[in-house]
Amino acid sequence: MNYQAPVKTTLLEVRDLRTQFQTASGTVKAVDGVSFTIERGERLAVVGESGSGKSAMAMSILRLLTHPGRVVGGEILLDGRDISRLSEGQLNTVRGRLVGTVFQDPMSSLDPVMRISRQMIEPIMRNLRLNRDQARAEAIKWLDKVGIPEPERRIEAYPFEMSGGMRQRVMIAMALASRPQLVIADEPTTALDVTIQAQIVEVLKTLTAEAGSAMMFITHDLGLVARFAHKVAVMYAGRIVEFGRVEDIFANPAHPYTQSLLGTIPSTTMLKSERLPQISGLPPDMRHEITGCAFKDRCAAAHDRCLAEAPRLTDRGHEHTAACWTPHGLEQALATGQQHATRLNKPFEPDGSVVVELNALRKQFATSRKMVVRAVNGVNLRVHKGETLGIVGESGCGKSTVARMLLGLERPTSGDIFIAGLAQMVFQDPAASFNPKMTIGDIVAEPLVVKSRGSKAERLDTVKRLISQVGLDPAFVERYPHQLSGGQRQRVAVARALALNPSVVVADEPTSALDVSVRAQIINLLVDLKEELGISFVFISHDLLTVRYISDRIAVMYLGEVVEYGAAEEVFADPRHPYTRALIDAVPVPDPVVESRRAATPLQGELPSPLNLPKGCAFASRCPMATDRCRAEKPALPDHDLSRQVACHYAH
Amino acid sequence: MTDITLTTTSAPKTGPFAILLAASRHPLLSHAKVRLALLILIPILVLTILAPVLPIQKPLETNLRAMMQFPSIEHVFGTDKMGRDIFSRTLAGVQISLLVGFSVASIALTFGMVLGTLAGFYGGWLDRAIMTVVDIFLAFPSLLLAIGLVSVMGTGIVPVIFAISLADVPRFIRLQRSQVLSLRSRAFIDAARTVDASQYWLMTRHIVPNTIAPMLVAASIAAANAILVEASLSFLGLGIMPPQPSLGNIVRDGQTYLEQAWWISTLPGVVILLIAIGLHFLSDGVRELLDPRSH
Repeated sequence: MNYQAPVKTTLLEVRDLRTQFQTASGTVKAVDGVSFTIERGERLAVVGESGSGKSAMAMSILRLLTHPGRVVGGEILLDGRDISRLSEGQLNTVRGRLVGTVFQDPMSSLDPVMRISRQMIEPIMRNLRLNRDQARAEAIKWLDKVGIPEPERRIEAYPFEMSGGMRQRVMIAMALASRPQLVIADEPTTALDVTIQAQIVEVLKTLTAEAGSAMMFITHDLGLVARFAHKVAVMYAGRIVEFGRVEDIFANPAHPYTQSLLGTIPSTTMLKSERLPQISGLPPDMRHEITGCAFKDRCAAAHDRCLAEAPRLTDRGHEHTAACWTPHGLEQALATGQQHATRLNKPFEPDGSVVVELNALRKQFATSRKMVVRAVNGVNLRVHKGETLGIVGESGCGKSTVARMLLGLERPTSGDIFIAGLAQMVFQDPAASFNPKMTIGDIVAEPLVVKSRGSKAERLDTVKRLISQVGLDPAFVERYPHQLSGGQRQRVAVARALALNPSVVVADEPTSALDVSVRAQIINLLVDLKEELGISFVFISHDLLTVRYISDRIAVMYLGEVVEYGAAEEVFADPRHPYTRALIDAVPVPDPVVESRRAATPLQGELPSPLNLPKGCAFASRCPMATDRCRAEKPALPDHDLSRQVACHYAH
Repeated sequence: MTDITLTTTSAPKTGPFAILLAASRHPLLSHAKVRLALLILIPILVLTILAPVLPIQKPLETNLRAMMQFPSIEHVFGTDKMGRDIFSRTLAGVQISLLVGFSVASIALTFGMVLGTLAGFYGGWLDRAIMTVVDIFLAFPSLLLAIGLVSVMGTGIVPVIFAISLADVPRFIRLQRSQVLSLRSRAFIDAARTVDASQYWLMTRHIVPNTIAPMLVAASIAAANAILVEASLSFLGLGIMPPQPSLGNIVRDGQTYLEQAWWISTLPGVVILLIAIGLHFLSDGVRELLDPRSH
């Protein structure tokens, strides 16, 4: 991260930007006085949780806000020209030509009924004043640069013929082809897998550097920030609370919010006996006037002045500013709080009893064209009592199908499942996992009602006990799901899963729909419950750092098979399968020093189609060390009594 | 539907006035479109119910000394060529209209929900069988289908209701099935399945309650449409046969005299329009209230 711009000239200067959303229930001050600058060629990351105003801020710059949103004040100087006063027509020459955009969802930002060629060539013709043939050549050149194989042929494809990662590459090619001075990327990799994310980030990074474009990168992933940014702006409740160079922000965060955010992410070396620091409470309701500091209710260092007066950004040296009354944020409070933050040091001791056993489990789906998708292709796994098994892998690797078979939601094609007791589930999306017409009380009681356990009064007692057990007020039984926040809903989901005293709880991406500050709360809850109740967990996630932190053992899946299995720390410290190594390499670590030392060669290619699995090793098509033997002969996972198993011919 | 049950129970209230007052604070009534709809529909409904006891001429009674009279205090909508009171006939016609609208909506709702739920939930051959029949019916324009059926079955209110329902039921099955299909894959269904909830439990506790609101909206539009179709059939001489009045055949009767006595056709026509507008506003308002994004 040795960033030295030759000549520092300001490209974008935003002064006191204010954006409001007029809704029926009040005015939401989404962006409430934001000022910052971006130098030429500089990469600025804007971080914050949902509702912090980071996307509204970015969209305000190009006036691309959705309906009730409106920029109500401030100046936006692009190259010295105030673009906030331009007419819609004049602004159109800025969008696309001077400022390129890459959005989160490449599915909805490409027109599904137009070929890529039509969507790319015309803007290039207009912006660079080229004729059709030149523009086409230019488009193909950019598709090639972003890593689309066979660009001459793929340019005639429709968006649905491409994978999510490929579509995002097309978006980047479109944004960069007009050689914009600034690229605004709004969560461009959130919908993608880690390995694809690593590729996309690398493409964005090299190509903007090559073209000398500056970039504004909106994300909630602090690991990506460390990998990517020169400067960081941390947003909270519509304002920038901390701004500075990436090294300074990560090494010496000054604002309590930044400090807490950095703390909530499990590090690669964190011990399980340490409790994840969590940010309690919820962000403020932006419809109401906020007096004092917006973060005061969640801040351990808050004092009288914070309640009365909102702090402004003040200088902390080296272009580093923070909006906090205390000179070092939480430092004092952290130092005293840390001692209580370790848990009862109760390492997992297997007593031998197996709670879950999967033997040669297979699941095949028949497609409409009589082809067979081998979603799960011979999985053997065991979960002992009180153990947490983490399953990781890219989407499409079969991890969720394994979970669904465990719960009896899918019937295995062959193989068998043994469960001592009952398996219950915590689902990914806390919004979809409850019937919106039922109260929380009825939702948690449902398993008891279905199984006719106890009388109505006894059930209510059980429900209230469960709800307090997951850290909610028993008065919540009266409420409806839409009245709860995402984190609260996920707690209810855990309470429901516990209602029938299960022996194993399967959690499928239980934190991926939650904000960073809430994730740690749910992870701590799951770990606490495991220690209190001795339940086994199967924790499925693509978030490797969380999986490492929460799991005792890890199974890495690729194309329906387990390719590596072992104790969580061992697998992380010494990954033996090339795929595991690639996965771990792809995970962005929230530490710019580590990130800058990382080799910039992410795992190439994408998950092959599970329709026609290769004869040899499934990973051979992407493996850097694959040989003819790999392509011909399938490496088998050794006997599952071993504590460490790797399915690779060349694993040491 | 729980979102719109009475929530105003701040003080103990007794007596009809207090209840009315409490009801007027109901969120349903705070919605402008719903208010407008009720402002149109309630007077029509009250007048129709009170028609037998109102001091007006009976709908079939003729008075040859007062033919083709301009609207007056005595004959609010005027009289026709046989001296019948148009207002009284209109109210009798509205009665038929409301009966048709309500019956068709109920029939479509009942059959649509039952068959649509079964088709969507079970899928397979049951779904294919139901949907094949539905698709065949949907191939005909609904008015044409109704005309065809009435000409086969004969005229009168029962064939009219049957004919219109037969055109609406397939639409309701389609709608219900599509709702069930999207609900069936939601995570809360999976959650219930992990505790071995029965299929009956899944349908009655999780699926059907979540489909009711949009179905009620569709039903109120279907009722408005049924009223218009009945009026059209009667206008064409295929629905309710004279001398029994229906809004459609009153308009038809007056059509010949449009130049001498415009009120015979026009005023009942305006009533049809008002009922249709009222029902549309009602369904629109209810839909907006039930849409979680509107909160």
